[in-house]
Amino acid sequence: MSAQDDIPQHALERLKGLRGAGNPDGVFTSDFSVNEFLLVRKAGFEPIGLCVGSCIYQVGIQFSQWSKNQELTRLSQAMYDARELAMNRMRTEAQDMGADGIVGVRLEVKRLEWDRRVLEFVAIGTGIVHAQSHPGFKGQGGKPFTSDLSGQDFWTLLHAGYRPIELVMGSCVYHVAHRGLWSALANSIRNVELTNFSQALYDAREIAMERMQDEAHRAGAESVVGVDLHEGSHGWGGHIIEFFAVGTAVKPISAEIDPSTIPDPMLVLSVNT
Amino acid sequence: MASSDLSEFAEARAAKWEAALLQNRVPDFVLQRLDKAKHGTAPWLSTMTPAELLLLKTHRIRPLAAVSGTCWYHYGYSWTEGHAEGWATALARIRAEAVACGANAVVDVRMRTIAKGSRSSMDFTLLGTAVRFDNLPASPEPIVATVPALEFIRLLETGIVPTGLAVGARYEWLQQSQWGPSLATGGMSGYNTPLTELTNFWESIRRAAHAELRRAAAKQGNGVLADLHFGQLLRPETDDKQPARYLGHHIVIGTVVDTPRAAPVPHDVRAVVDMRDTLSPLHIKAASRHADYSDEHEGGI
Repeated sequence: MSAQDDIPQHALERLKGLRGAGNPDGVFTSDFSVNEFLLVRKAGFEPIGLCVGSCIYQVGIQFSQWSKNQELTRLSQAMYDARELAMNRMRTEAQDMGADGIVGVRLEVKRLEWDRRVLEFVAIGTGIVHAQSHPGFKGQGGKPFTSDLSGQDFWTLLHAGYRPIELVMGSCVYHVAHRGLWSALANSIRNVELTNFSQALYDAREIAMERMQDEAHRAGAESVVGVDLHEGSHGWGGHIIEFFAVGTAVKPISAEIDPSTIPDPMLVLSVNT
Repeated sequence: MASSDLSEFAEARAAKWEAALLQNRVPDFVLQRLDKAKHGTAPWLSTMTPAELLLLKTHRIRPLAAVSGTCWYHYGYSWTEGHAEGWATALARIRAEAVACGANAVVDVRMRTIAKGSRSSMDFTLLGTAVRFDNLPASPEPIVATVPALEFIRLLETGIVPTGLAVGARYEWLQQSQWGPSLATGGMSGYNTPLTELTNFWESIRRAAHAELRRAAAKQGNGVLADLHFGQLLRPETDDKQPARYLGHHIVIGTVVDTPRAAPVPHDVRAVVDMRDTLSPLHIKAASRHADYSDEHEGGI
């Protein structure tokens, strides 16, 4: 038997130049790579369409006190709201096409070049359905689940006994106090921790994570995987930073998998570096 | 050859190219090269790596020739259609070369472009390796697979045939009305304001590109794996008296596949942990899928 026998009949016909018998099930679109597509299929799902949501948002103005550590709530609110609006639009598109969920969601933020206060937010991912129409994979309230896990991670997550329910996030824009001139001078030759800076970073990161955790809790999640913490600035100057926490909230699959049945990953050492 | 012979030779060759491009066919000297490849009388050329070659061998697939399709295209009235048309022409040309050497498929197809300083025209090129399956007759319409040979075999075994290339593109203007409220500010401008009209405009462009991608894919298969996305929302400079105009364009390109719904994946997938340090998640910078902070360094304290 040659390895060519492993190729299904339908594929051989296309190779001979015969056309398929139309597309009775419609055409799907996705931003999957080949490997992602295979693993999503292996997990029992089929892609149906690219889902996208945008939001162009003018971020308000908030003044901060020069010497005070504080959250800039209006900016935090803006960064959260805009992402949420983009995500909702994406989810609506997925729901309209009958998806069970969206995997591989990417959230992107870009500053538009003509106005530093206008930001563009985009959420994009691939809507998928369970191939056997299993009803148990939808997210909260029967809406499509959302997840930033890639096709590979999605397969692995299901095999670990969990399913994604919602992409959760938390944002905190924080103003870090400037140091007074006298304290800067007094400390200029000493080795010393700048506690107000440490405290500002800690506090901002903590607030972002708490918000994300809160969102996961409301979604009825057991945990959040793939948590990622970014920090950055969107043209607000050096002392204003956004901390952004994002991850996929997950729940155990209803019939819980016995951990002893999950095969232990094998250790390999690939030598073709 | 004397220099006059050389220039005559070059002129004759140029004339042949011109005629071939006009008549949508492959010039005879290329046909001769491909014919030799078909009959195995000249060394075969392949863009594949030795590892890929090994895999082809086990599946009794023979590389025949390196083939290409090129189209330098000027987009006049429509950037959108220009891109789609440019790629479609390159696709037809690479396919014609594959037919000439009796192939079943072109694998390892790469997309190349050379933008030579011009904003209104661009080169669209496809390069790949034509292959022949030992037990199959030559195809009148070889499939063009924009996937590496390694992935090509795996896809075939799982009942997924990569058949070609689909492009979805959209290009549109939005005109700020002379008297209407500004699209670019939220009126009470100290507050957080979603800019609804601009959002809808921009989102409709992306969605139109996706719909176009779906239509383009439907001609060749029943799905598309599109991981190439590019879009821009611009506000070109106008003088102060003119109301602002916005230009949005978006393009999505992907590999078309033809596959029965929910075809089984016969391969077992095993989880392994690679012990090379460079693969540690702690070292991979691009681990995050969210391109949130392209300017991550900007906000240093």
